[in-house]
Amino acid sequence: MSTRQPLLEVEDLTTTFSTDNGELTAVDGVDFSVDEGETVCIVGESGSGKTVATESVTRIVKEPPGRVRGSVRFKSRDLLEMSEPELREIRGYEIAHIFQNPQEAMNHCYTVGWQIVEALQIHRDVSDEEARAKAIDLMDKVGIANASSRFDDYPHEFSGGQKQRVMIAMALVGDPDLLIADEPTTALDVTVQAQILRLLDDLQEEFDMGILFVTHDLGVVAEIADRIVVMYAGKVMERGDVLDIFERPAHPYTQQLLNCLPEIGGKKGGIPGTLPDPLDPPDGCRFAPRCEHAVDACVTGDQPEEIEVNPGQRASCVHYRPGRDDSVVRDGIPDSTADGEEVSSADD
Amino acid sequence: MGFGKYVGARVLWAVVVSLIITTITFLLLAAAPNPAIREAATQAALQGGDPSAAVERERELRGLNQPLYVRYMDFIRSIYTLDWGWSESRSQPVTEALLQALYYTAQYSIPWTVLTITLGPLVGVYSAANMYSWRDHVATGFAFFGYAIPNFFFGIILLLIFGVWFEVVPISYDTSAPVFSLQNVRQLILPVFVLVTGSIGATMRVSRNESAEFQNSDFMKTAKAKGVSPLRAYAYHVMRPTMVPLSTTLVGQLLALFIGSSLLVEVVFGIPGLGRLTFNALISQDTNLVLGSTLVFTFIAVVGNLLEDLVFTVLDPRINYDDR
Repeated sequence: MSTRQPLLEVEDLTTTFSTDNGELTAVDGVDFSVDEGETVCIVGESGSGKTVATESVTRIVKEPPGRVRGSVRFKSRDLLEMSEPELREIRGYEIAHIFQNPQEAMNHCYTVGWQIVEALQIHRDVSDEEARAKAIDLMDKVGIANASSRFDDYPHEFSGGQKQRVMIAMALVGDPDLLIADEPTTALDVTVQAQILRLLDDLQEEFDMGILFVTHDLGVVAEIADRIVVMYAGKVMERGDVLDIFERPAHPYTQQLLNCLPEIGGKKGGIPGTLPDPLDPPDGCRFAPRCEHAVDACVTGDQPEEIEVNPGQRASCVHYRPGRDDSVVRDGIPDSTADGEEVSSADD
Repeated sequence: MGFGKYVGARVLWAVVVSLIITTITFLLLAAAPNPAIREAATQAALQGGDPSAAVERERELRGLNQPLYVRYMDFIRSIYTLDWGWSESRSQPVTEALLQALYYTAQYSIPWTVLTITLGPLVGVYSAANMYSWRDHVATGFAFFGYAIPNFFFGIILLLIFGVWFEVVPISYDTSAPVFSLQNVRQLILPVFVLVTGSIGATMRVSRNESAEFQNSDFMKTAKAKGVSPLRAYAYHVMRPTMVPLSTTLVGQLLALFIGSSLLVEVVFGIPGLGRLTFNALISQDTNLVLGSTLVFTFIAVVGNLLEDLVFTVLDPRINYDDR
């Protein structure tokens, strides 16, 4: 990984939405990066700001009411400094998106072929015949049988998994450097999910793409991620290599999240409590109100700085500050010192 | 090919529907007393003749002594051969009177329809794109104003302002004006404007609400992520799906306005079109002409609904016409 060049570097990304009840901060000063050919997963529960964070990269969030600030460097250009027309050149060509719900992601009035060709012809001045040939080639590549005869079919004539394949074909028209995949398998059943993940894996190698993958499904993360960014309530809680995070989750939130995995923790009922109000987030650590290890230092000031807990792994938790005893939170799963008995009893 | 069969079936149904309508019309006419016969009897009585012999003679003259099914066959044949009888109030064949009236009606209803089906969706989508902004409120206010104000009243007011006070448009309609002339434009601009303000409201509101749904759709996000410009996205990804629900309401709305408003607007602006022809036929109890204009409106409605059915299936590829 170390030989790879950084492809996308996001710094201090803040996305707010003006609402009738005031300014809503969906993403609050988030940093992350994706290297060439690497897969980075943003994980977190629903409402943690994962989707907004990825949609802020190419600014496809609605502006207004949304507003994106910070810096998003892609191949050493700042996307947030670019004009709309300049950004449109990059969208769908150098940075492609696929979305959560393939059922709704295509326009029902046009054939799938038309929609793939549209993506291509917006960016490159190619003839209809050439575009058609390229689209069929891509449909073939993503595993649509009889691609040339299915070119003129409408989205409703495809199954959910096939639609997601078409969406992937559409994303590949420009041989993109970065693919942003926003929960692309959530709406699909498990067997299809596995096929799509394998397809993405193959295509990543063939097209040498970086993938920024958003999911709340840790099972999926384990399968595809190189690195993980854990988000909660618009903030990054923890980041690191996939193995480190799964083996030694440092932040209590990550530990709780992993505890929800049936194979590992089996803790009933998930994490108690709900996400804080994004219009009025709590002081200190965003997770403190739901954290069983919370102390006074957790509920004052800002979100704690990220502290290196292991090489390449950083957590935003006061317990890792120098001079503090981090044993209360370190190695929280599955047989941690803090709630080991509780977990093992739940396993019985 | 399912589509060809579907079109065939729809056309066949349209023919059946029009046949049912003409049959009902015939039965109503056959059951109603004929004023001409009553008049013949009255005339005979006044002149000292035998009323019942006069009735008999008149009935024979008009073929009313024939059995019902023969008269029915004659009636249907004459309807479909466009032999619609003689208009007594206008002293010309009914079809000729209708064609002359249609000539004037078409001159304002064609621009009116074209403007409604182009401007309505455009304003609606524009309004949805700027939802709850002052632009939306202006467009919505305009739509509701046109929708709410009675056409004939609005016409009179406009005629008073622009015809009488400012004298920029003629207050009386000149039938001798050539179709494509400035004079014709000037005398038709107010009736077209009044009708458009009346019809655009409904069209604009339907397009606004339907496109509001589509502009927040996932496929709009896909389009944006593909690099589609906002203008193209609205034209292709919002306008196009909006046409589907719009097409189902458009024909009905236009027909209702066409039949209802055209009469009032023609009376106000003195246009000798279909509406006024029907109105005068009713006043002068010209049965053949009333029947003729009723049939014209009926056939327009049948053809309009047929077009709507066909357009709907062409617009929405998800509709399966195989089993219908």
